[in-house]
Amino acid sequence: MALKSLSASRGVNSRGVNSRGVSGRDRAERRVAIRMTAPSLVLMALVAAVPIGYALWLSLNQYSVRTAGLSRFVGLENYITALSGPHWWAAFGQTFLFAGLSVSLELVLGTAMALLLNLAFKGRALLRTVVLLPYAVVTVVSAITWETMFAPNLGLVTNVLSTLGLPGGDVVWLGEHGYAMAVIVLADVWKTTPFAALIILAGLQVISAETYEAAELDGASKWQAFVHITLPLLRPAIVLAAIFRTMDALRVFDLPFVLTRGANGTESMSMLAYTQLRENRLVGEGSALSILTFLTVMAVSVVYIRFAGGNIREVAKEEQ
Amino acid sequence: MDLIRPSSPLQEDTAPSKAVARTTALHGSSRRRPRTVVAVAAAAMAAGLLLSGCGGGAATPGAENAAAADPASAAGASGSINICGGKDASGIYKGTAEAFTKANGKVTAQYTEIGATTDEARTQAVQRLEGKSTECDIFLTDVIWTSEFASQGWLLDQTKLVEANRDRLIPSTVETAKYEDKYWASPFFTNAGLVYYQKDKVAKPETWQQLYAEAAAAPGNGFVYQGKQYEGLTVNFLEMLYSAGGEVLDSKGEVKIDSPETREVLDFMSQGLKDGSAERAVLTYNEDPARLAYESGNYGYQRNWPHVFRLLNATPLAGSFGVAPLPAWEGGKASGVLGGWNLAISAHSTNQAGAVAFIDFATNPDWQKHVAMDFSQAPVNEAAYSDAAVLAKMPFATELLASVKGAKPRPISPVYPQISQAIYKNVYAVLSGAASTEDAVKTMAEEITTAKASF
Repeated sequence: MALKSLSASRGVNSRGVNSRGVSGRDRAERRVAIRMTAPSLVLMALVAAVPIGYALWLSLNQYSVRTAGLSRFVGLENYITALSGPHWWAAFGQTFLFAGLSVSLELVLGTAMALLLNLAFKGRALLRTVVLLPYAVVTVVSAITWETMFAPNLGLVTNVLSTLGLPGGDVVWLGEHGYAMAVIVLADVWKTTPFAALIILAGLQVISAETYEAAELDGASKWQAFVHITLPLLRPAIVLAAIFRTMDALRVFDLPFVLTRGANGTESMSMLAYTQLRENRLVGEGSALSILTFLTVMAVSVVYIRFAGGNIREVAKEEQ
Repeated sequence: MDLIRPSSPLQEDTAPSKAVARTTALHGSSRRRPRTVVAVAAAAMAAGLLLSGCGGGAATPGAENAAAADPASAAGASGSINICGGKDASGIYKGTAEAFTKANGKVTAQYTEIGATTDEARTQAVQRLEGKSTECDIFLTDVIWTSEFASQGWLLDQTKLVEANRDRLIPSTVETAKYEDKYWASPFFTNAGLVYYQKDKVAKPETWQQLYAEAAAAPGNGFVYQGKQYEGLTVNFLEMLYSAGGEVLDSKGEVKIDSPETREVLDFMSQGLKDGSAERAVLTYNEDPARLAYESGNYGYQRNWPHVFRLLNATPLAGSFGVAPLPAWEGGKASGVLGGWNLAISAHSTNQAGAVAFIDFATNPDWQKHVAMDFSQAPVNEAAYSDAAVLAKMPFATELLASVKGAKPRPISPVYPQISQAIYKNVYAVLSGAASTEDAVKTMAEEITTAKASF
């Protein structure tokens, strides 16, 4: 759905002529396109812009619990409070650490998985369905499962490790900083690698077999073909997967919430905002934290698109 | 989720047309470029999170001018009342409502579940109260919610009702309903921590020092408690702090956490993790994992709530364990922390007389026996604990009563959630080795002071 709106809003017509070199007919088509997309744009504005604007407004006000909703305009005070305290920066650092680790693992594993699924073999359709299963599990449910598996003494993982005499059997996984982060990353990788794989697989399938045949004629090895053909052609798909996954990872909430409640340095930006808003009813500061989270996610995605914008257009076109 | 909740007065009052225009301008100018599309997508995804910012409500009367419940009104009550609260796991809420309806004849009571967990029930209650909903006449309130709800003017002042019923209620349980010298709820059932111990391995705990020493003495004697970073850790810590003579806020509301007692207890607890009195695993335990670990038979002591008694009796440990009230600090007096649930009347209730009649019924000594016998909850009436029928069902009633009577409420403040976080986060930091006792005490005191200032 995101891909469709990507090309629709840019006015890429059926022949793929970019809207900059427009003919009269193209212009007419564009008007139709605008008229047809207008209702959804209005809806999007209502759904996205209004709440964000509202949150922005809330973040500029001070709401005390005592006055119960009576607000006082304080400008950027909530932002200063948030940015000058240690909590935001700790959460910021931890969230980026989490996103960096999980997204890079997901891309590597996702690429490997996509290559595997792209091979022609019996039962491929079944395997494609099966690998998607983790992605279908509700995150909170999978988080609880992971928590149980890594529970000290009784958990499956700790039990197996200690029975086999392997290191890690006596580790309190969710009670130590490095280990807790590792479990959270693992849980995320397990769940969303299939999603990355799916996007990369789509990219893989549009690479024509002829390219490889030509390379083979030129005497390229399998590895050379992979490095010089597959990877460059796959780059747009990988970047797209990276964008989706990074944005998701930076907004991570449920995994640390269920697994550690933010203990052991695993509190994410979203969790911090939630705690201030919901549990502490600090509406102003919580909203400021939400806006900061939002700006961080947006900044990262803008950087991504600057960096690889052209490639995304290609992917969008190919996916049509 | 938040989109469909009843609109709060705040949204109507202060809908920010300027801010909306600003945001539209932000996105509108560059609609044709691809990066904007992704930005908008990002915005949409972030919107869900941001939406949770809708809190607050219109100006409320505040605790000082709240209306009061009239104890005499119960006699002439009629109509129906609705009681709202969390999941009714033991059946006590529905059971009490049905028994009341049958006994009263004129007022019908029904119970409505408004949330599956304590947190959810609180969120749902807050939304109804902020929105001045008349759906619920009575809210079941966790003992730690009283100050917050009362300070917002959401509850009916129950001082007269509590005074009229005072002789039937255990004093410590009544204190959980107090805020600014008035009472805002009536205790329904209470809860206090207990220590379960393996009689064949360890002695009945008299002091925390003895418990820890015995727990460390042999492998298999260890102590399990709730050390995860959450409300339960606050309770576990406060139980020790109170018995060591420390406090969080004094009677005037001044922050007293930065004290030698706090340091002593924190050092004691973290030492216990080092010398093996308690395994590091307790850092991941809340109530259930602690119980499950204890059921393996590999431990000597467990700190948990009364409901564990019934569950432990269904395991091979049945018969081999004893139940004790929380121990004292060496040379001091035992003092736990009270849990439990109160009955608060909504300020927007349309049948306050019916609500008063229900509270009269629910707190009367006869029904309080059923609270223990039929639903395994701790009564708020002292006589119930020595009743033969109750003792048959709850053989540890004497120990439980000792724990309840000795227990103190958690810090009384409308910003209790923040105070509790300041406690459990910093205690956890010390226990897990991420912070020194000294740093944690200083941070804790600062954060509690900041929290109080936010009110």
